[in-house]
This record gives sequence, structure tokens and C-alpha cells, in this order.
Amino acid sequence: MRVIRAAFDEVYSVLAQITGSIFRHGLPLTDKIAARTALTNFVLHIHPVRVRRSWIRMSYTLCLGGLSFFLFIVLTVTGLYLMFYYVPSTQHAYQDMRDLQFVVTFGQFIRNMHRWAAHAMVITVWLHMARVFLTGAYKKPREFNWGIGTVLLLITLLLSFTGYLLPWDQLSIWAVTVGTNMAKYAPIAGPYTRYLLLGGKAVGDATLLRFYVMHVVGLPLVGFLLMVIHFWRVRKDGFSGGL
Amino acid sequence: MAAGFKRLIEDSREMSRRSFLALAGWGAFGVASLVALYQSVKFIQPNVTYEDPAAFKADTPSAYPVGSTTVIIDKRVVINRDPDGFYAISLICTHLGCTPRYFTDVTSDLIASGAAVPKDPDTGNQATKSNPIVPGFKCPCHGSRYFRDADNFYGPAPRPMDRVSIQLAADGKLFIDRSVVVDHHYRLKV
Repeated sequence: MRVIRAAFDEVYSVLAQITGSIFRHGLPLTDKIAARTALTNFVLHIHPVRVRRSWIRMSYTLCLGGLSFFLFIVLTVTGLYLMFYYVPSTQHAYQDMRDLQFVVTFGQFIRNMHRWAAHAMVITVWLHMARVFLTGAYKKPREFNWGIGTVLLLITLLLSFTGYLLPWDQLSIWAVTVGTNMAKYAPIAGPYTRYLLLGGKAVGDATLLRFYVMHVVGLPLVGFLLMVIHFWRVRKDGFSGGL
Repeated sequence: MAAGFKRLIEDSREMSRRSFLALAGWGAFGVASLVALYQSVKFIQPNVTYEDPAAFKADTPSAYPVGSTTVIIDKRVVINRDPDGFYAISLICTHLGCTPRYFTDVTSDLIASGAAVPKDPDTGNQATKSNPIVPGFKCPCHGSRYFRDADNFYGPAPRPMDRVSIQLAADGKLFIDRSVVVDHHYRLKV
């Protein structure tokens, strides 16, 4: 009996050390410990230690920024799943997309999650922008974060556009033909820009690879870095909602 | 930095070693950044593409009857043969680059709706109530329409489709070069 007791104490002390190393204080039962919890926890420190209820009122923010970020995470995870089956070449892309829909277990589900989350993210980012504009939250001292936000909107739209080519069906090929022809209308550098975007004179193998690389690495990486700064600035510039 | 640069120009002896080194350092950083930008742009610019070549051979002239319109969809080229000779059209919509499709009738629905269809500036043909059917091309993307000779008459297309070089090769086949745009009056007489 004593041996079991000793073993139990040993396990308990190891577990206590592990939790103690993660949470460097007791349960947040008092205001003081609750404040320390927010201060020392990576996830919670996105909010200040003390937050007024009015600052994060649902009817004020409508959670639109948070929803956009949540959808970004959904897209990252489902996109990772899709990458296991998708090969970005004109020989394979369309067939791989069809396989994901009809052969791979839960493939249709994952692909549709990716697709719907992408549509939803464009909507929530636009609405987030509209909310910030209508509540005047872009004004001093938050002008810089508004600027980052507009770049994040642009990245969201570019992610949508680059992802649109990847199924390699008629809709995607002609949509990108039309989109890059619009780039061609830009003064002076227009035709050269189109050549760089396509990696040739028409939408083809080089284009598919270019758009794939930008879709899965380039744009999400830049977007993620800007999001980190965006969130940090929200925290540092202070909340705009009610005082 | 600008002030330091001004002093460097006016009299270098008045500049401290520290600001000179700072200026040199930032200058090197700026130059390196510009070089990196240049390299990045040049790197993503392909020097060789493995696309379908612009020039290709079609069939012998006898394969195309007088008055015929032949769409070579893989090459995005149309070969028209009229009584006065051959000409080739680059089948790329001048609006935003989709591929228009050939139809024997591109006008009767417009005539029926009461819209006036302009005269073809090259051939002078015109669709009318008594003769509403004229052949041509319709673009699936935004609805531009062209007459059979590539002149645009409806929708957002800003100009006619390009006519491209068509010649007779030594082996008697038609030789078409899509990279060479020719005048719209050009005809290959065989």
C-alpha cells in the first residue's frame, strides 16, 4: 500500500511540475491571479490584462476580424490536407481535383470546406473593413493598422484568385486569362507584368506552378506575418469601442 | 543621411569618420537591395518557354474550299478562304483574351430583338430583317461578337481580331505564323 502511495506521489509531482511549467501560477480564482494568467499566457495575451466589457461588445466588433482569422486557420489546415493529393501540373491537376472529390475518403468534404471557407473569408474580411470604417476605428492613432488591413484584404483577394486556377478546369483557365489580360492594360509595364505572371504568353504549365507556389507559400507567409503585426497593433493601439 | 551626403559633397574633411562609414554602409545596403530587386525580377522572367511554337503548318490549300471557314481550335487560329484568297485570324478575343466560337448565325437574335446590327466595314455585308442570318464568332466570356472576317460589331471587344501571317510553304502546305500580325486586307493567293 505504501509503495502505491509513493508511486502516486511521484506521478503527481511530475504532473505538477509539468503544469507548473506551463501555467506559472495557481488557478485564476482571485482577480490578481486572473490578471497574471492573462499576462503570462500566449493565447490570452492578445487581450490586455483588463478589458472593459464595452470594448469587445459583440454588437460592436461583430467578431469579424476574429472570424477572418479563424477562417484563415481553417484554410491553412484544409489546404494542407489537399496538398497531399494535388500535383500542380497540367497533366495531373484536374484529375487530382476529381480524385479528391470522388475517390479520396472525406476528400469532397475537405475540398468543400476549403472552398466555402475561402468564399466566407473574402466576405468576412470585406465586412470587417466596412465595420472598421463605419465605426471610425481607422482614425488616429490607428491609421497604420488600417493600412496593414488594406494590404491583408489585397492578399485575401490574391489568395482567392491564385486558388481559382488550381482546379485547372475551363472556368479557372479563362478566369485567369481574363484576369491577367486586365493586368496587360496597365500602362508601360502591363504586357511585361502579364508575361511574368503567366511565365509565358498564354496560361499554361508555368502559370499553374507560379500560381500554386504563390497560393500555398508566398501569399500565406506574407499574410501571416502581416496578421501578427496587425493583431499586435490592435493590442497596442487600444480598442476603439466604447469608453 | 541627406545632410551627411551634402557635407560629403561640399567638403569631405568636415565629415566625421563615423558618419562617412554610416553613409557608406547605408549606400551599400541600398545598392545591394536594388541589385536583389533586379535579380528577383529577372529570375522569375523565363528565358525559355516550352509553349506551343507560334508558327505551324496546316493542310494543303485544296483542303479548304472557297468560301469555307476552318477553326483550328488547338492553335486558336481560323483559316478563311474567300474568292480572292486565304487569310488567317488569331482566334483571341480583343477584349480580354478568351477564345470566340464560330457560329453560322450571330445576328438573327439581335435583329429579332430590334437592335441594329452595323455593316461589316470590310465586306459591306449587313444583317437585315429580310436577311437576318450572318455567320461569325461569339466570345463565351463577355459576349463580344465578330463577323466571319474578324471585324467586331457587338459587345465589349474594342477592335477586330488580329489577322496573322499565312503563306505557302515549300512542301505545298499552308504555313501560319501567329506571332506576325498582318494588315486586314492581306490575302494569300494560291
